[in-house]
Amino acid sequence: MIATNVRRLALYLLLSFALVSAGLAYWQVVDAQALASRPDNPQLVAARRSAPRGSIFDARGKLLASTEVVNGVAQRTYADSAFSHVIGYASLRFGTTALERAWDDLLAGRADPNPLRDIVSDILDRPPAPKDLILTVDQRLQDFAAQRLGNRVGAVVALDPRTGAILAMTSTPTFDASALTGDSAASARAMERITAAKDDPLVDRTRQGRYPPGSTMKVFTAAAALDAGAITPSTTFKGQPRQETEGFVVEGFRITEHDLSPVQPALWQLSEALQVSSNIYFAHVGLELGADAFLDYAHRFGFCVGRRIGPPDHALTVDASYVTDAADGDCSQFSDRVEVASAAFGQAQVIATPVQMALIAATIANDGTMPDPYVVADARTHAADPAAGPSDEVLQRYASGGGTRVVSSQTAAQVRKVMVDAVEGQLGRLYAGQGDVSLYGVGDVQTAGKTGTAQRGAGQAPHSWFIGFAPAEPGGAPKIAVAVIVEGGGSGAGLAAPIGGQVMAEWLRLEGK
Amino acid sequence: MRITWRRAELAMLLPLLLLVPLGFVLTHVAEAGKLEPGPLGLALGYLAIMAGAHLVLTLSGHRGDQLLLPVVATIGGVGLVMLNRLPQDLAGTSAFGLQLGMAATQLLWFGVGVVAMLAVAVGFRDDGLLRHYKYTWAALGAALLLATFVFGKEVFGARLWIDLGPVQFQPGEFIKIVLVVFIAGYLAENRALLTGASARIGPISIPPLPYLLPMLAIFVMVMLMVVVLKDLGTALLFFGIFLTMLFVATGRRSYVLIGLILFVAGSFVAYQLFGHVRARVDVWLNPFADPSGAGYQTVHALYAFGRGGLFGEGLGQGLLPSVGGSFPAVQTDFIFAATAEELGLVGAFGLLALALLLVFRGLRIAMLAHDDFSAMLAVGLTTSLGLQTLIIVAGNAKLIPLTGVTFPFVSYGGSSLLASFLVIGLLLSISHRAARVAEPGAP
Repeated sequence: MIATNVRRLALYLLLSFALVSAGLAYWQVVDAQALASRPDNPQLVAARRSAPRGSIFDARGKLLASTEVVNGVAQRTYADSAFSHVIGYASLRFGTTALERAWDDLLAGRADPNPLRDIVSDILDRPPAPKDLILTVDQRLQDFAAQRLGNRVGAVVALDPRTGAILAMTSTPTFDASALTGDSAASARAMERITAAKDDPLVDRTRQGRYPPGSTMKVFTAAAALDAGAITPSTTFKGQPRQETEGFVVEGFRITEHDLSPVQPALWQLSEALQVSSNIYFAHVGLELGADAFLDYAHRFGFCVGRRIGPPDHALTVDASYVTDAADGDCSQFSDRVEVASAAFGQAQVIATPVQMALIAATIANDGTMPDPYVVADARTHAADPAAGPSDEVLQRYASGGGTRVVSSQTAAQVRKVMVDAVEGQLGRLYAGQGDVSLYGVGDVQTAGKTGTAQRGAGQAPHSWFIGFAPAEPGGAPKIAVAVIVEGGGSGAGLAAPIGGQVMAEWLRLEGK
Repeated sequence: MRITWRRAELAMLLPLLLLVPLGFVLTHVAEAGKLEPGPLGLALGYLAIMAGAHLVLTLSGHRGDQLLLPVVATIGGVGLVMLNRLPQDLAGTSAFGLQLGMAATQLLWFGVGVVAMLAVAVGFRDDGLLRHYKYTWAALGAALLLATFVFGKEVFGARLWIDLGPVQFQPGEFIKIVLVVFIAGYLAENRALLTGASARIGPISIPPLPYLLPMLAIFVMVMLMVVVLKDLGTALLFFGIFLTMLFVATGRRSYVLIGLILFVAGSFVAYQLFGHVRARVDVWLNPFADPSGAGYQTVHALYAFGRGGLFGEGLGQGLLPSVGGSFPAVQTDFIFAATAEELGLVGAFGLLALALLLVFRGLRIAMLAHDDFSAMLAVGLTTSLGLQTLIIVAGNAKLIPLTGVTFPFVSYGGSSLLASFLVIGLLLSISHRAARVAEPGAP
């Protein structure tokens, strides 16, 4: 009796052992590949610890990021903290960010820009061959912009409006990315210091900073209304100038002018209204344009959806900018006419990234076509000695496409003219007198621009904005468009505009005009 | 006393002469990159202990099963090689002014365990001590359990340890044996009276009171262990041993089923009521939800299995022991995952096959045993080793929630080794008596 039961028990135990064995076989054979590719598997971590990685150079071949393998341990070094946000970091402990993340497969050598070579490498079981990247950013301009921002909190984005090539893209405060790439404990301490510092140094304000654009939004409103035929450059609104002193009542809400004390109330046309940055004029423009057309042009200008810098499979992502409540996500509608009128001069729920505002300036500069921004110019074979510069063997160029037509060439020319007036016109000079206009006009060439003073809550200094481009002679092709924000920097004319003017002037100087 | 040559045992022990030193040498080469004689001392010590055991059994004319010792020695040899490969400061003792590393300490316990095994195997001429004093043993077990309830020290979230000044031990390991002795005595005594008798409520046959009462008592004890000691593994093991022995004594699967339902229901209530149970189960269901926190050990054990693959990364080449600097409990709860990483599925299957062989030999001893008590004892002891192996291996491989029981003869730990060798000693002694009874003309 017992013997029979023991035999049955033996069978059950055999089955149990078989079940457990099957479980082991699942993990060790069937699922092994999937487990091996999980990012926190020490196997991957160990492989990464000793893996070489491609270098990153600026537009002129200056070394920005490189990896040296010493005693089997790879150490990634970043040469210039002005690039910490756009390049990001490749950290064993914290993973990858920004360009290091977007281009990880090429930098690590897992992929080749040419899929055919990829297949060949696969068949021959070649070890990964890291690729180097050349940026469109010029280190001289990047450093210049970072210096101008100094210890203020803000961001500068500069691009070539003709091609979309990013020339400078810097955010302050910055951090030492090299400190995050070493051994686990040291990088954890460094990360702790960085996150404890004030003003969130890790945030890339060019792409992730979203601010009310204030009066810089008027460039968008003017372009949209002119293009839709809602206004002409000579449109006036007969309620003015009385409304400039008494306020413009929309559905019971009183829109008032900000301080226009340097100039007398008058019946303004588009140019004068932009020069003095009249809120009421642009509130009228917004209402003439209408909510539907406003939203239509907002979408055309790239509001309301996240943006990419670079090719889709290696995109540096830019947070979405919005003209209506960001919580709605898709800019489907304004809540009322007051919101339309306020959005037209950059308040209400409008929020925009510096990249977005730079692209608006670039669109006007580029005859109404918004360029596709890109920041990696090409991928090259890995230079054995990065300090000696990049290799000459270009594997793939990444120049962007032709861009997207947003407004007509005629509209762009009209907006360009009033933006030049805003910098150089009599009223503009008078209005912006608190910041010396000569500081943000670029010497010897015409400059187009618009300042913005983004109101925040009570008691907080407004954000200082500037967008512009140069040279802005009629019919000419501007070489640089910029957007500058200084958080809590006060009026746009005070801080952001001079920085924008200096960055453009520096670029034209470097380029020999 | 007549010498019986134990040729099979000797033949099966011989491969160890190659295996164990080779294991030590390979791990050392992997670590230091060159061959040094140092660690071979441990290997030779281990071989000497096993050779000594064989010699004592032979000289004492022992007639017990000849496969137990070689199988245990092989499993233990793999374990010692693995422990020697781990960082030696994970555990250890200072004895006689010597600071012993982990592997050396484990070797010391192998010595103690083997001596205890031999003492039981050779010295236990009569099992009356176990058979007739089963309530005394039950009382002893209850006292030990009570002591753990009261004085237990919590390690890794479970209260398993009793601290006796210089010595710490895990009473659970010994309670396990006492429990088996008691259940064997109880079932053997009542079996004859109760075979076939059962009450019915509708279609369900209910165990008669003499089975039902101890079942309930043990169930209550086990649930108390889950709640108070937070020791899910040992609780599962105890209940599993009891149900298995009940099944063998009665042949009724329905009793096992009722017990399992009871256990599942109890576990469900415990899951609802107690945070530590819930945490264990949640981690089991989805360790990847928090791979760097609660799921850390489970996730990295799975990674280790995956890296090991079919043939393993090689002795000394595994990554698990050094994950996060030093992987917690790699020398105890996760020794199997570490072994499977370095020896692969082939090595893991090898270890399981050896454990299964041990189980089969134990069950064979039960079948050949000369009376019911011995048979039940052998079944219980064998089951204790087999289930414990299954529980920890299945826990490592995320087939059941992870619990902190040891892998017999492999995990680091003196209590576990000593208790496991006592089990082997008892099995040898049962087997020896059966052989003598079967022998024609035996006294």
